[in-house]
Order: sequence, then C-alpha cells, then structure tokens
Amino acid sequence: MKQEINIVVAGVGGQGSILASHIIAEAAMCSNDTRREHFKVRVGETFGAAMRGGAVASHIRLGLVESPLVGSGRADLIVAMEPLEGLRNAAKYLAQDGLVLVNRASIPPVDVKVGNFEYPTEDMIVQSIGNLGGKVVFIDATNLAIKAGTAKTVSVVMIGAAYASGLIPCTEEKIKQSIENRVPAKFTKANLDAFALGAEEYRRITNGS
Amino acid sequence: MSSQPVLADGGTRHLLMGNEAIARGAIEAGVQLVAAYPGTPSSEICEVLIDAAPHCDYYVEWSTNEKIAFEMAAGASLVGARSIVAMKNAGLNVAMDTFMTLPYGGVKGGMVIVVADDPAAHYSSTEQDTRFAAAYAEIPCLEPMDQQEALEMTKAAFEISEEMELPVFLRSVSRISHASGDVLLGDLREERNQLGFNKHYKLPFRWNVYGPPGALEKHKWLHSILPKAKELSNISPFNKLNLVPNSKTAIVMAGIGAAYGIDALRRIGLADQFSTLKLGMVYPLAEKLVDELLEGVDTLIVIEEGDPVVENQIRAYVQSNTSGLTIYGKSINKILNPYGELNADVVSEALAGLLGIEYCGDVMSDVRQSIIETVTPRSSTLCAGCSHLGTYAALKQVLKKYPGINIINGDIGCYEQGGYGVAGTTPSPNDDESKKYPNISTYEMLDTIHVMGSGIGLAQGQAHVGYSDGKILAVAGDSTFIHAVLPSVVNCVYSEADITFLVLDNRWTCMTGHQPNPNTGLSSLGEPRERLDLEKVVRAFGVNHVMKANAYDLECLSETIHHALEHKGISIVIVEGECMLQVQRRNRTVNVKTHVIQDKCIGCRACVNLGCPAVTFDKVKRKAGIDPLTCTDCGLCSQICPVNAISKKGRD
Repeated sequence: MKQEINIVVAGVGGQGSILASHIIAEAAMCSNDTRREHFKVRVGETFGAAMRGGAVASHIRLGLVESPLVGSGRADLIVAMEPLEGLRNAAKYLAQDGLVLVNRASIPPVDVKVGNFEYPTEDMIVQSIGNLGGKVVFIDATNLAIKAGTAKTVSVVMIGAAYASGLIPCTEEKIKQSIENRVPAKFTKANLDAFALGAEEYRRITNGS
Repeated sequence: MSSQPVLADGGTRHLLMGNEAIARGAIEAGVQLVAAYPGTPSSEICEVLIDAAPHCDYYVEWSTNEKIAFEMAAGASLVGARSIVAMKNAGLNVAMDTFMTLPYGGVKGGMVIVVADDPAAHYSSTEQDTRFAAAYAEIPCLEPMDQQEALEMTKAAFEISEEMELPVFLRSVSRISHASGDVLLGDLREERNQLGFNKHYKLPFRWNVYGPPGALEKHKWLHSILPKAKELSNISPFNKLNLVPNSKTAIVMAGIGAAYGIDALRRIGLADQFSTLKLGMVYPLAEKLVDELLEGVDTLIVIEEGDPVVENQIRAYVQSNTSGLTIYGKSINKILNPYGELNADVVSEALAGLLGIEYCGDVMSDVRQSIIETVTPRSSTLCAGCSHLGTYAALKQVLKKYPGINIINGDIGCYEQGGYGVAGTTPSPNDDESKKYPNISTYEMLDTIHVMGSGIGLAQGQAHVGYSDGKILAVAGDSTFIHAVLPSVVNCVYSEADITFLVLDNRWTCMTGHQPNPNTGLSSLGEPRERLDLEKVVRAFGVNHVMKANAYDLECLSETIHHALEHKGISIVIVEGECMLQVQRRNRTVNVKTHVIQDKCIGCRACVNLGCPAVTFDKVKRKAGIDPLTCTDCGLCSQICPVNAISKKGRD
C-alpha cells in the first residue's frame, strides 16, 4: 500500500456525498490496524454556506497522514455524484494518473439554469481530465440506483464503482458492513444491491476498454 | 446503549466528527449541564448531546444566545456541577461580558468553554482568533490537533478546570469540528459532582466580584494562581517535546498547525530532522519546554492556525533570555499569513522556502489553474420556495416608490444571502453607477451586514443623525430577533427612531440546521412549547405600528411594507412564512403544477430575478421555465410575471 491515499468525494448538497465519504473512511478504518501510527483516517468536509443545492466535497485521507485536507494535485481518486462537481474537484485536486468516477446525471447550477453560464459537455470533461494526466469513467449511477430500488442509493452505486477500482484500502466485507451501519435499516437491501450494481458496472466498463 | 457512536463502549474505535468527539469527551467526563446557541461550525456539539440526552443524566438546552448559555454553564459550575458551553467564534463576542468577569472568582465544578473558530471565514463574518480571548481573560487554553485530542482534551479540560478552579477554554477550528478522524473512546466517569453552595468558598465572597475585598483583590488572586497553570502546561500530555540532537532549527506547532506541520515535513522529506514542540495547551506557555527546545537553536519556526498567538508568547518570553535566535512565523519574519487558512500545501511551501529545500508541490499547476478559471460556478442561492424570496420581491417592488438611496440594513441568517451578490459580478469602484447599483437581483438587496442584531442598531444611528436621502430599513430573522434584537427595539421606541423593521419569521433557526427556538413551538428536546408571540412582545415594548403579512402573498405584503414605510417612527412588519425545507420535509410537493405557458412568456426575466433556483431560462428561445424537480408550487413567480405566463394550475 502507498504511504498515503487521498480521495475526494464530490457532489451537490443532498446527494449523499458526506455519507459516502464516511462509509468509505469507516470501511478503511475497520480494514486496517489504526492502533499503529502509520494508518490514520481523516475526513475533511468542505461546503460553502451550507445551503441546499450547493457544491459539497469531502476529503478522505488514509495512511501516514495527520491533516484533513487533500493537497492540490494529490487525489488518487475522485468520486463525483455529479459531472460538473467532478470537473471542479478534478481541476483542483486530481493527481497525475488519478482516476475520476463520475455519475453521468447532471444537476445544472442556477448559473446555468438562468442562462449566465454553459454546462460543460462530457467531451470537455474528458479532455480537461486528460490534460491533467488523469482518467475518467462515467457511470450511469442514477439509473442503476433506480434499478436497485430507489434513486436515493446513487451515492452507494458510486461507492460500489469506487470499491471495484481497487483504490480504497478496504475489504468488501467491511465496506458492506459500513453501508449497513450508516443507511436506514429499511433501505439496507436496496443499498447493498446498489453497491453490487456499481461495482459490476465499473468492471464491465473497464474490462471492455 | 444506543447505536450512537458517542454512546459506545470505552475502548472501541469510531470515525467521529470533531464536534462528536468533543461531545463524547463531555459525556466521558460526567457533564451535568450543557448549553449552547447554534453557530457553524460548533452546532453539532450540542446537537449530539441533545440526541444522546435520553441515555444520559445531564440537562441540555439551546439557549436564546451565547451569553445566556455561558451564564447557564457558569451558574451550574458555581454550585459544583460539571458544565460545558459551546459556541462559534462570533458567539464568544456575545458572551464576552460574563466571560471576562467570571475568572475573577473562578469556578467550582469543572467548566469548559468550547469555541469553534473559523479560519478562512467559511461560515462566519470574521476569522477572529479567540485564543486571544483566553489570554485576555487569563484562563487556560487547549487546542486539539485532531479528533482524538478533541475528545481527550475536553475530558482533561474538566479536570484542569477543577484543579485550577477556573473555566478552561477549548479552541476548535472548522477543520477539527467539521472534520472526522479515527477516535479511540475512553471510559465513562461514573461519579457525578455533588451540588452545594458556599458563598465564601475558600475565598471571601468568592462569587461576587464586588464583595470584600473587591475586584482588584480578585484580579490579584487570578494572577497568583497563574504560575500553577504554567506548571500544568509544562507537564501537559498534550505538549510534546521531541528533541533531535544538534538541531539548530526547531519548530513549534500548535493545535491543528501540528497536523499540517507534520504532513508538510514528511512531504518535503524532513520528518524527524528537527527538534519539535507540539503544543496542545497553548495558554499559558509551557516555558520550561520552550527553554529545552531552544537549547543551541538559532532558527525557530512557529506554525499555528489564525493569529500569531503562540508566536507572540514565545517572542515575549525569549526576549529577555535568548540571544542569537531568529523566529519565523506570522508577525516579524513572516513566512505564513496571519489571515486565511493553513493547509499542508502552504506549510510545505513556507518550510521548503525558508529551509532552502527544492520542492514542487504540483507539476500541473498551470494546467490546473487554466481549468479552474473556466469551470462553471455553482452559486449559492436561497432554497426553492424560500419565504425570504417573497420578502425581497415585495421589498424591491415597494422601494421603487421611493427613488432615493434607501438603506436596507441586513443581519445574520439565511436571509443574509440577500447581500451575497450575483456570481461573477463583483462591482469595481470605477464602474458606472448604473452597473454598480442595478438593484434587480434578490442577492444584492442588503446594504450592510455585520453581526447578529447589528442591522437595527445601525438603522437607528442613520435615522437619528438625520440621513434623509432615502428610507431606512432593517431586517432580521426570528431567531436573531430573540437572540440580539429585543433591547434594540426598546431603544427604537424610547428614542423615537424613524425606521421600518422587518422580522422575517420562518419559525426555525434555519441556517445552522433547523434548531428550535422560542418561536418554533418546540423545546430543545422536541417537546411541545407555547410559541413566543412576537407581535405581542413588540406591542408591549410600545411599538404601535405592527403588522403581520404572509411572505407568499406579494400584493398584500407589498402594501403592508408600504404602509409601514409611510408611518413616522418605528414600524414593524412581521413577515410570516415557515422555512420551505421544513414544510417540504413534512409534506413533499409531488406532481408540481407550476409551469410557464411558453406562448405567453415574453422573455423579460422578471421571474429569473426573483432568485428562486427552480426558475430556469432558455437563452436561445428567450423563454423562462420551471424545474419540476425543485419547484414547491409556492406561487411567488406566478405573482411576479407581468403577463400571467406562469400558471399554477398544472398542464392540460
């Protein structure tokens, strides 16, 4: 394992980005020996004025780390619940050779809705991330979440894809346990299905390429 | 035991937010009273303790402001109990009067004051570093570097408080309070402090600053016990000295500055190369440890979050007995800014620069910058269907009748967004007046914003000094009104100020996470309570012109505000409209009916200027639209449309 692993989970307020970051961090904590100095878990939450619909990003740092924020250009993995937020955070944090997982469903900001700005095309996002030396994989997470039983499981579909990427230092058992610990009991099955669908989708896309 | 991690067994490990860790520390210490006023990033401390309350045996409440919360905790402590009070940086300013005076007699039961600062002002009016206040009040100050220390320090703070018989200050920051880390829980203290009162406890008239021998003697007493605090600092487990033989350079790292400092030293390849002193008890200074650190050292670097509080203590201390030492930090020989927020990037650059290490933090920084500059913004807005949208729409409409330079004094709460400006349009001082003051956006309405309750005070000053170029107004929400505005209303009546004041009554303390307040109809623990009758209150104060209006009826609201503006003397409009998020949580609007009749729309953008995030605009077709996913059918946009193109009746 690398000395430190940096992950950014990004999205729009209400999409479950912070929950997703806590699931990932808890899974990593339970899969590694945190009694030892070289494996610590830090999660930094960044959001503006805490308004509904605002941009939200959670920073996860694992390993030989102390502070909660991912440095500029140091994210090994960015998990984006929304394409524009994927681009925004990739621009700030993505490491060369880093991976960006993006839920394809967009939530246009008010700035686009009122015609002041354009929403970036998928090509623009792919190109920008390519220019940074990174790779992007789009996941139809919203559709997969609906297939799993409820659109509310979008963030867990993305966790499934992130787990399948192999970049999260945790076991499948611990990440499933962490999901069960943190989602409402009546949605446990839908969320575990969502996790499996996300992992399967990531493997399907990356094996085909 | 409950499934909440703050109530889990000692010896287990959990991912805890800093605020949860502080709450757990208080539970482990056997806290008996908890009081707070909400304020980001401190609110979850009290929230978590409210959620845990049914499984514990302490009293907990949201007080109506921080000064009252502080006094609650102080009162509990004077009769022997362990108490904690939590607030944000600005909250301490509200509590300042009692805060400065309490240390003169000290406390009996352990009292912990938690203040969550906000470097970089993510959620606050200022970046103020409240460690100055701890030094100002001459009480011990602890500062955690991570969530584990946040828990342990909170617990230890009660012990230090009882040993020193002084309140103890715990300074958190956003990146501690609103960040999470792996935390090993400790065991719960089973015993509780016995309650009892003794007016002459160890000192005559202990709790009465005026009681003989008086305030001066009490201040002398405070100074007489400070050496003991220094001794505690010298042996504190939170202050860790790591000496590297023959190191000419030493580094002091305080609070979360230690987390950034250690990360940065590892990053630039200098881990364990220098002697370091990690400080967790930052006031008073651990002088003996500083002496040991500086033995044979010629370069000292101080890394701390906020102002140079530790640095200046060291400067003052070494002035008299260390020569040939150069100190680098945030004041003289500045390598870090005394504003903004630290992170491992800036600390790495500062250290590498000073120490002559070749370091490139980010090889892609040029590409990165060019992308960052072109990424579409996501502006923060009021929520879809927010009652404040109605207030601002009506205000805009009415003020057209008053062509002068009207002043709208703002306040703190969700409605402060009425002064956030529009994305990508920061006016420059040289801009044409028409460009600087278009006054069409909901987000450019407020002319002044400072702190809770300040708007109505400024309005009175403007009125009494004779400002007459336009109308003078002030707005404040219901929680702010109760927190800080009541005495100001009395002053308005007494001084006969000619102003119009709007109470934006949405029933909850929304911006910090919908905490209940006396206007909600619920206690802190969610039990039913009689609502405070705002209208009766201001009438009792002697305000004669008081009217209520519905935020979602623009015509009536505009007329009501117009009447108020025409009234000479203080006039108050209570604008009612419960927070739409709370309404939607109880009863989500499904099958949204509101839509734009495309043939009728003339593309005037009046609805867009309402500022509701559910209103859309197609630039090519020049037609407005409604986003059915976010719309709440509140009806404000349909009242604004000049050609009745927005229907609330659903599509055919």
